[in-house]
Amino acid sequence: MVGERTLLSTLTALVKRARADAVSVCVHAKTRRVFRFAYEAIHQDLVQEDITVTAKLIRQRRVGVASADSLEPAHLRRTLQAAAAIAAHSPQQKELAALPQRTRIRASGDYVRSTTRLSAAACVASLQRLFQLCKGAGAKLAGSLVTGEDELAVVNSAGVSCYAASTVSGAKLVTMYRNLSGYASGVHRDVTRLDLDGLLKESLRRSLHRQEAVSPPLGNYEVILEPEAVGELVSWLGYTAFGAKSVEERTSCLAGRMGEALFAPEITIYDDGMEAASLRMPFDFEGTPKRRTVLIDRGRATGIVYDTTYGARFGRPSSGHGMPPDEVEGPLPMHLGMAPGRTSLEAMIRSCRRGLLIPRFHYVNGLLNPREALMTGLTREGTFLIERGKLSAPVATLRFTQSLLSAFRRVLGVSTQRRLIADPSQELGCAVMPALHLVAFKFTGRSESSS
Amino acid sequence: MAERALPRELIARLIRSLKRRGVDYADVRYERLLHESLVAEQGRVSSISVTESAGIGIRVLSRGSWGFASTPHLTPRHLARAGAQAIELATASSLLNRQPRPLTPVEPVKARYASRVAVDPFDVPLSKKLDYLLWANATLLGPDAVKRATAHMDFYKRRKLFCSTEGAQIEQVVIESGAGLEVVAQRGDEVHLRSFPNSHHGALAQAGFEYVKQLDLVGGAQTAKEEVLQLLRAKPPRAGETTIVLDPTQVVMQLHESCGHPTELDRALGQELSYAGGSFLTPEHLGQLRYGSPRVTIVADATIPHGVGSFGFDDEGVPAQRVELVRRGLFVGYLSSRESAARIRLPASGGAMRAESWSVPPLVRMTNVNLEPGEATLEELCRDIPRGYLLSTNKSWSIDDKRLNFQFTTELGWEITDGRLGAIVKNPLYTGITPAFWGRCTGVGRAEDWRLWGVSNCAKGEPMQLMHVGHGSSYARFDGVTVAPAR
Repeated sequence: MVGERTLLSTLTALVKRARADAVSVCVHAKTRRVFRFAYEAIHQDLVQEDITVTAKLIRQRRVGVASADSLEPAHLRRTLQAAAAIAAHSPQQKELAALPQRTRIRASGDYVRSTTRLSAAACVASLQRLFQLCKGAGAKLAGSLVTGEDELAVVNSAGVSCYAASTVSGAKLVTMYRNLSGYASGVHRDVTRLDLDGLLKESLRRSLHRQEAVSPPLGNYEVILEPEAVGELVSWLGYTAFGAKSVEERTSCLAGRMGEALFAPEITIYDDGMEAASLRMPFDFEGTPKRRTVLIDRGRATGIVYDTTYGARFGRPSSGHGMPPDEVEGPLPMHLGMAPGRTSLEAMIRSCRRGLLIPRFHYVNGLLNPREALMTGLTREGTFLIERGKLSAPVATLRFTQSLLSAFRRVLGVSTQRRLIADPSQELGCAVMPALHLVAFKFTGRSESSS
Repeated sequence: MAERALPRELIARLIRSLKRRGVDYADVRYERLLHESLVAEQGRVSSISVTESAGIGIRVLSRGSWGFASTPHLTPRHLARAGAQAIELATASSLLNRQPRPLTPVEPVKARYASRVAVDPFDVPLSKKLDYLLWANATLLGPDAVKRATAHMDFYKRRKLFCSTEGAQIEQVVIESGAGLEVVAQRGDEVHLRSFPNSHHGALAQAGFEYVKQLDLVGGAQTAKEEVLQLLRAKPPRAGETTIVLDPTQVVMQLHESCGHPTELDRALGQELSYAGGSFLTPEHLGQLRYGSPRVTIVADATIPHGVGSFGFDDEGVPAQRVELVRRGLFVGYLSSRESAARIRLPASGGAMRAESWSVPPLVRMTNVNLEPGEATLEELCRDIPRGYLLSTNKSWSIDDKRLNFQFTTELGWEITDGRLGAIVKNPLYTGITPAFWGRCTGVGRAEDWRLWGVSNCAKGEPMQLMHVGHGSSYARFDGVTVAPAR
């Protein structure tokens, strides 16, 4: 861990030294400890330490951006010199948003020491126990166990000086029994609250089934999507629809439809970087505080997210969704949430006469026709056929091709309980999602055995 | 940014120290990456950035277990700490791992490799690159229907020093250059995208600035603009089974998803189950399974000039090779590493261990996975097709966790009627099952139309690593394919 004092004093000194009209420096330092395992062996274990320093320098309305991976003074000076050299060669920009001003930023207090102190030996001991439990059940185990910490700091010449530290831990478990597989995952900032035994039980419950997987006919099915499956679909909406750039380019399904009822009234989607249930991030990569933004309010399109550049173009303040200065995708939501409903997953299953229970999707792609939020993807481990309110048989892999504009219009229920969804080995960001019960979801293909 | 000297002495000292600590094997990899990215949008430069990243990754094999640690701090103290972390991880994992972890042999060499470039892109003045970028970008602009016009260039210089406890000492310098265009047009609810010369961030090659000049971005911009405007009034394809011809830009994605990933041996052995999934090409199928028709020969070739999957040695010091994956339709080979090759008793690694950067361990990755050319011209491939489609430029991609059921959409297609190309079609989608699809490959285009592409965003692993991989192909024809409009 670099620490707040070192980071902010280093960046402040750098910003003060810069000969520029404006300068902003952003640092993301991260550590990840990852164990990956399959079939009673750990095949990959690593400690990854990374630091990314990105400087944006403005001189006479010319912008230069340079990045490096060191806080060494000589390297920081070189980075700033590189940004200045780029700015000198850049054309003048007519529309140039001002850097964010100093504002009060709430500390999230999400740094949990027990996560960073977990030793390699303790991780392996936990995995040993899981392997034994799994063996006892006659199943095989694969997966990953991750712990890590992040530090984010932004300092600019307009007075922004902010820092946040957080930890993350997570596990993915795939259990295999005969030809069936089960899956469960969990994420928590405190590794001691990561319920590995509970996750294993959940995964085993889905894989220890007497019946072989069935291949139901293709077509429309009533579906119950568990939080991870909902998260995958909504995250694609976040990428293709909720950012100001996609709206400006008219590729977003929200472009020109603001205020319209696009989804059922049961659906409210927002982005909130400070939601207690999420992996919080109090400010964005420009140093703007994260502002809760309601994107879909009871089915109606109500908002999109901005950074300073797109905020200026749309005549709006930044909502705190700026990405690192060298990113070109524009502002994006990183903490999507769907508001809870009033039912439970169990009640959804009981109320379903014939349908599918889907814990997660595989390889979703939302670029087929983003204007219609048309997506495709596949089911994976743990998908079950529901008949007369009960899980009747595991289901072999199915492909869906479905517009969310039509699927999210007919909602039978949203669960009260929600889950934190994140991939802890990756970058910052997460989603908080309920389970969703939909009237119809279109399945267009299935996987067949090669032999 | 100026060159940094290679930390030879630091690494030599670290290797000696790891040997003293009694590890079975260790390698140390220093990398310094320089990446310049230039983007122009709507006729003006929107982003110029330079990223520099340097550090050391240490991989240790001790008591039958791996441990990996990395650090950006090139000081003896930090390297000693990272080395200790790698050993600690391996020691901890050995409490669980019961089986030995043999490696296939490799001759430890002292060697050098460098990309052959005519013009180092980092020596070209920024103003010259920007002038060309803005010219191409301006060519995309014009009609009101054009809502976004983007042009981009990317240049990479990667310097590596690999040393192992077996005595290898390999220095490599790889330079890559690439560029591309995207134009989005909209009229009413119709929104279409056209890329040039390919989607997935354009074209990328192990080459100098001369490659960018050869791409003819300005000529391509004019074509892309005309095609995207035609897409606004185009019809969708008819749904049903038909014959399709894929142009090389789309064969890239077909090869990548349905051949490249499933032939990764670590994946076939279950090591990606929790994330990307498994493979239908499990070891018992090697040399037995009919993957495609006799016209289909697919190789992983890390020796081909200009491929972004080419190198002198992989990231465990194994020399670059040309490995057959599919020979005349039969599945015959894997992308492999020293460990995975030993697991299935192959005599040697296929030399496909690659890491995205110094901060992560190498994984089995694609090199340049290419479909060998046939003899047909495009005209000959289309000649006896009564009704079908020529499809170009990948737009969306999805494939199941065993790499069997795939579905792709392309940016556009052309009708084929009685052997002749006709009108443009919008939103074409095709889907299939990998071996059945390749089994219906009824023609592969000639070498004159064969082209090598670079893909810069191949994702794999936890933490996710994005790798530059290459794919070469000519046109390819497939019968009995399910086609539909994406709606």
